[in-house]
Amino acid sequence: MADKKYWTGLEDLHKTEEFVNNSRKEFKSELPVEDFLANDKLSESSTGRRDFLKFLGFSVTAAAVAACETPVIKSIPYVNKPEEIYPGVANYYASSYYNGQVFSSILVKTREGRPIHITGNKKDGFFGGAINAEVNTSVLGLYNASRLQAPTIKGAKTTWKKFDSEVKAELQKASEAGGEIAVLTNSLISPSAKEAVSRFSKAYTTEATSVNHYQSDDVSYSALADAVEKVAGERFVPFFDFSKAKVIVSVSADFLRSWLSPTTFVNQYKGHRNPESGSMSKHYQFESIMSLSGSNADKRITVRPSEELATLISIYNHLASKMGMAPISGSNKELDAKTKKAASDLASHKGESLVVAGANNLAIQSMVLKINAILSNTEKTIFTTKRFNNAQGSDKGLETLKAGIKAGKVKALILIDSNPVYTNGEEWKALLKKVPTTISVAEFKDETAVDCKYVAAKDNYLETWNDYSPVTGMYAIGQPTINRLYSTRNAYHNLLAWSGDNTAYLDFIKGVWLRGSEGLTSDLTFTSFWNKALHNGGVVVSESAASANLNGSVDWVSSQSKIQKDGFELSMYQNELGTGTNANNPWLQELPDPITKVTWDNYVTMSLADVEAMGLNNYIGEKDHASVVKVVVGKTELELPVYPTPGQKTGTIGIALGYGRGENGSDLGRSTYQTAEYGGYITDAEGNPLSIGENAFKFVQTINGNTSYSVGKVSIEKLDKTYPLACTQTHNTIMGRESIVKETDLHTFKTSDKHHYNHGHTLAMHENGETVQKPIAEVDLWDSHPVEHVGHRWGMAIDLTKCIGCGACVTSCHSENNVPVVGKDEVLRSRDMHWLRIDRYFSSSEDQKKHNGEEFSYKAMEIADDEPTVVHMPMMCQHCNHAPCETVCPVAATTHSNEGLNQMTYNRCIGTRYCANNCPYKVRRFNWFNYQAYKKFTDVNPAQDDMGRLVLNPDVTVRARGVMEKCSMCVQRIQTGKLDAKKAGTPVKDGAIQTACAEACSMDAITFGDLNDDKSIVADKSKSDRGYMALEEVGAKPNIYYMVKVRNTEGSSHHS
Amino acid sequence: MHKEAAIREPLILGHKTYSDITKDVVGPIMGRPSKTWFILIGIAAVIGLYGVGCILYLIGTGIGTWGLNKTVGWAWDITNFVWWVGIGHAGTLISAVLLLFRQKWRMAINRSAEAMTIFAVFMAGLFPLIHMGRIWMAYWVLPLPNQFGSLWVNFNSPLLWDVFAISTYLSVSLVFWYIGLIPDFATIRDKVIDPIQKRMYTLLSFGWSGRAKNWNRFEEVSLILAGLATPLVFSVHSIVSMDFATSVIPGWHTTIFPPYFVSGAVFSGFAMVQTLLIIMRKAMNLENYITIKHIEYMNIVIIVTGSIVGVAYITELFISWYSGVEYESYAFINRATGKYWWAYAAMMTCNVISPQLFWVKSWRRNLKFTFIMSIIVNIGMWFERFVIIVTSLHRDYVPSSWTMFYPTAIDIGVFVGTIGLFFVFFLMFARFFPVLALNEVKTILKSSGESYKNEDSQH
Repeated sequence: MADKKYWTGLEDLHKTEEFVNNSRKEFKSELPVEDFLANDKLSESSTGRRDFLKFLGFSVTAAAVAACETPVIKSIPYVNKPEEIYPGVANYYASSYYNGQVFSSILVKTREGRPIHITGNKKDGFFGGAINAEVNTSVLGLYNASRLQAPTIKGAKTTWKKFDSEVKAELQKASEAGGEIAVLTNSLISPSAKEAVSRFSKAYTTEATSVNHYQSDDVSYSALADAVEKVAGERFVPFFDFSKAKVIVSVSADFLRSWLSPTTFVNQYKGHRNPESGSMSKHYQFESIMSLSGSNADKRITVRPSEELATLISIYNHLASKMGMAPISGSNKELDAKTKKAASDLASHKGESLVVAGANNLAIQSMVLKINAILSNTEKTIFTTKRFNNAQGSDKGLETLKAGIKAGKVKALILIDSNPVYTNGEEWKALLKKVPTTISVAEFKDETAVDCKYVAAKDNYLETWNDYSPVTGMYAIGQPTINRLYSTRNAYHNLLAWSGDNTAYLDFIKGVWLRGSEGLTSDLTFTSFWNKALHNGGVVVSESAASANLNGSVDWVSSQSKIQKDGFELSMYQNELGTGTNANNPWLQELPDPITKVTWDNYVTMSLADVEAMGLNNYIGEKDHASVVKVVVGKTELELPVYPTPGQKTGTIGIALGYGRGENGSDLGRSTYQTAEYGGYITDAEGNPLSIGENAFKFVQTINGNTSYSVGKVSIEKLDKTYPLACTQTHNTIMGRESIVKETDLHTFKTSDKHHYNHGHTLAMHENGETVQKPIAEVDLWDSHPVEHVGHRWGMAIDLTKCIGCGACVTSCHSENNVPVVGKDEVLRSRDMHWLRIDRYFSSSEDQKKHNGEEFSYKAMEIADDEPTVVHMPMMCQHCNHAPCETVCPVAATTHSNEGLNQMTYNRCIGTRYCANNCPYKVRRFNWFNYQAYKKFTDVNPAQDDMGRLVLNPDVTVRARGVMEKCSMCVQRIQTGKLDAKKAGTPVKDGAIQTACAEACSMDAITFGDLNDDKSIVADKSKSDRGYMALEEVGAKPNIYYMVKVRNTEGSSHHS
Repeated sequence: MHKEAAIREPLILGHKTYSDITKDVVGPIMGRPSKTWFILIGIAAVIGLYGVGCILYLIGTGIGTWGLNKTVGWAWDITNFVWWVGIGHAGTLISAVLLLFRQKWRMAINRSAEAMTIFAVFMAGLFPLIHMGRIWMAYWVLPLPNQFGSLWVNFNSPLLWDVFAISTYLSVSLVFWYIGLIPDFATIRDKVIDPIQKRMYTLLSFGWSGRAKNWNRFEEVSLILAGLATPLVFSVHSIVSMDFATSVIPGWHTTIFPPYFVSGAVFSGFAMVQTLLIIMRKAMNLENYITIKHIEYMNIVIIVTGSIVGVAYITELFISWYSGVEYESYAFINRATGKYWWAYAAMMTCNVISPQLFWVKSWRRNLKFTFIMSIIVNIGMWFERFVIIVTSLHRDYVPSSWTMFYPTAIDIGVFVGTIGLFFVFFLMFARFFPVLALNEVKTILKSSGESYKNEDSQH
């Protein structure tokens, strides 16, 4: 092998002379090196040796520097730009939200095809586009990474094709076997869904098999419809109209927060919270817990849950005696005295008053109907011709279903949007085992879906078409704002698919609408009718139900009135978490309860007197943990911490529903469980993560055939344990500081000079040898900023009379401004990041002493009254014209804009926190950790996962660790609004720019605008008699004005 | 030669000669350090390193590792800062102000007091740095030319004034201290035998030759620096106090803060000098130089400044009531009777009541008593700053935001760590530096030395 030789070519073989010569040279031809170097002109060349070295040095350095550059995240441009999408420009779509109880007309803001923010459709929506915190936080649910991503059979993912064929086969089998196929849903207000149910029913009904549709609400309102049925012979939920009621009496109905249809009622209520208009409604609230509605009532009277019926009887008797009717028994003197004033106000406002009650109790709801009837309120404030379509759930119906299952009659059960294992775990887990075929249609593998064989993955409502009719004559459309993220399907499209109908759901809805709108759309073609409805989010047609008589006999209720005199009674209520459907939403969990300001937990609310009597901790703080008690009702017991709640009726307790989710092996998302101090979950002995709070549905009992959310004979046992409750506010009272909160009563407001209820501060000055009192505004150490009438000056007016404290503004701000979620432990350390918070103050009788100039004690002032009045005060950066924060920043990271904004330059901030210390309003928030990456926040901050990040607003910087942040007055919206106006060539129109909070406020308590625009509403409000600046005497000159809280109470109320 | 009345207590005890003084001061530097020294510096280094660990964790994880919250944005960090700056006041006061007043007793203590000052200012300077959310941007507080569109610092901010005040103070103190050290280094240079030591001290002594010209310049420079440093004694803590005084927070917004802070600083500074010297004179056999009389003099300064501080506290209380401002009056009622009453009580006891005990002559000449008192005063002064910062912030204007402050392990670790680091520095100083200004002490030997005084009285 060694003598083998390879040639490079024939030349090599022949060893030609040329080849040999060439092979000796490195370069074939001579290089002109000598010529080059000998060239005289070389030195004249502009690129000398030194230059060459410079270039070399530069390029090496440049390459080195370029290598140090931060990594670039590439975004991919559109190849074919979608017609409606302009990168950087938001699109808004009118749509609808419905969670089984609460309906809202919403506007969905999308950016580059992603829904990022939800607000009320105030322009065209129903109920004035009123929303609440649960509605506007729902956008985050879309991006929950734990959503079901495909249908599952016995927990294993499968395809829709396989799923459908198996389900159909099972249903066919069930249908042939005889018996019953049951469909259990929440209250159906969707005409199309109802149609789908009936088509499904037709497809599977045989002679031997019936297909029955049951409706059940998580929290039942059955007694209301049952009471109507009892008197009117027809089962429906009447429409209530608070806007026409000058006197409102609510017995335990938290209509501003949870009862029946809070978004409707908030919108109605707002019209009568307008002191300038001359008349305000007078709102009485009788209740045991301090509800949100109770905190806003003009007169709040505490009664035990077992006294609610007697309270109504008392009211009835007062009225009856005036009208010459016979009283009925069942009440007592004490309650007669308590209700006297309310009853006489009702009597003098016949036809313009409204009585409502919250209890799901036939006797109570019958009394409500009766009282309204004798007050001639029917068809004036309570309607039979107009009806609510929600709250259709029937307790009796559900019992029938349960009996059917127990008897083995039900061969297949389809659960749509209903989660009975959560609301009634023990019973339903057993029931589900008895049904051969269980199908759950759900968005998550929830407590019920876990126990169902088939789980059809449901669309998020932002991914699909829906229609709703919340009230007679109102038809709304829910439209998709993003393509499906996963392999999911519309809930009711399933029923169509299983009945062999392959129509696309949109076409199906259109079909239903086409048939339903005959005669209603005479002047429009269907397409334009539909397009208009789609554009506006809905359409109102003139439609009415047959009227019914609500005036029946109530003599039978007397025997139902059983007052429990001693021992504890328990009321279960709903806070912002509602019935717990969205308990996996970290924005909602971090929203403090408007009354207790507790986040991430439920607890027992107990009166201060009971707390003292039981020797429990009466103050909750960072290291002052709540005492834990064992609450026992019958055989059910739960251990819960106790929150000492001013305004709670002594002898009663309250527990919020909607907590304790994520049990039974369900998977609802990362923020369903309690997180530990350094990240990860807190687990029980077996290593299972602990749910947030306890499931109070376990205490729910059936009393007289209705599901009762208040129970008596509760025993409470003090345990030798404490538990930290994370509150965003740990001090309850205003400490007599009248320059922060100003309040007055309607009489004083109407009859007195501004000075009496809204006096400005003056300083004693020495001028020309005399002492003169000068208004604060005229005293200034500074050269004034030229703010008055120079360009824009953005500002707000916040009406304390209107603010009900619901917290929708807080969550809206969270969503708009990418405010980080920090979790319970950080809130406990008072490090919540809310840019906007709602301060809640309970009154203390000591305040009055200070006001009157009597002896008072600050210690006593810290204790709220047993039955206090409440003020809700939204507080955010006041954008002071003489901002204390601006002067102290060593690096000028916070400065004043020439439009009156106090602006925070994040990338200049070095984090000395001096600005926060020097802020009199304490509205600045510091980034204590890297919330986007630090392990402590992995399970609470949605920005820590790739799905959750999609909800971030691209217009707002996500702040780095170590910098200060605060309300920017939605500067990104101001800029957009100004650019729009500039493009249109017009000045910015008042109202064209809305901050997220003002937009979210269903009560219109927050008005944003240009204070330099004389015609703007905000300028008008700021100059009105009620307008004042909080802490005016500090001299910071805020651009945020508050408006004095006016209560509709008699006599001289305190606080000027 | 300057003569001094015999009835004045001598400032140097025993029959010392110039040579004795040199030996007493240079001796320890030439010998091997004692076991105790190794143990002490070992302990101090361990504590100091723990503090460094805490600081690294803090910088790595975030300010959230401290116990601060949305309402209390400063707590132990700035308390420690002000406390250390305060301690750093005694040195300059002793060396500059007492020099100008020709107080001879300063000579025995000024060197270590100045060393203490410098190390204390090091520790103090650490806190404004590490309390920043983004320490890596700390250089932005300097008015440097920059490429951010010539972005300037905010000259209105008292924090910026602090930057200038502290850095000026540190540099002047350092130069003053070093100038004083030069002749002493030269003496050591001439004494030490070890070639490495000799080389080191040769470098440190800047070629001092001891000629009259040298001494002449030395005296002149000392006087000029004393003149420069004296206003600094008053300016530094005045400016530090303006961090609070210029703010709007009730309890901070107080015009008496500058003098009140300065006297408080001198008060705590002298207490710290006492703590250090009482140990050092024993450990290094300097009883003849740092006499009971020196201790007594310093205790008198403590009585005076302590009383000024006491008056300031009472004035604050009076004004809070007299002003009729509800926030102001509440701030002080809250301080005294609120949830932090114990801090206020500790402050009042340690700073107002305890120094008054020094009116008793035998107590103020008692070493053990003085030592205990010096510790108490330093505890009290730490509480003073804690009270001012935390109790004012935790309940200011808007009651909804009222919170408590609870320190975390990192808060404590950083603070204790700085004490460790401080002692590491001080022990190193005691080992390698002339702890007495020996050449200055020599100048008073013949006028205030015990044996010379006795000789005089015999004549």
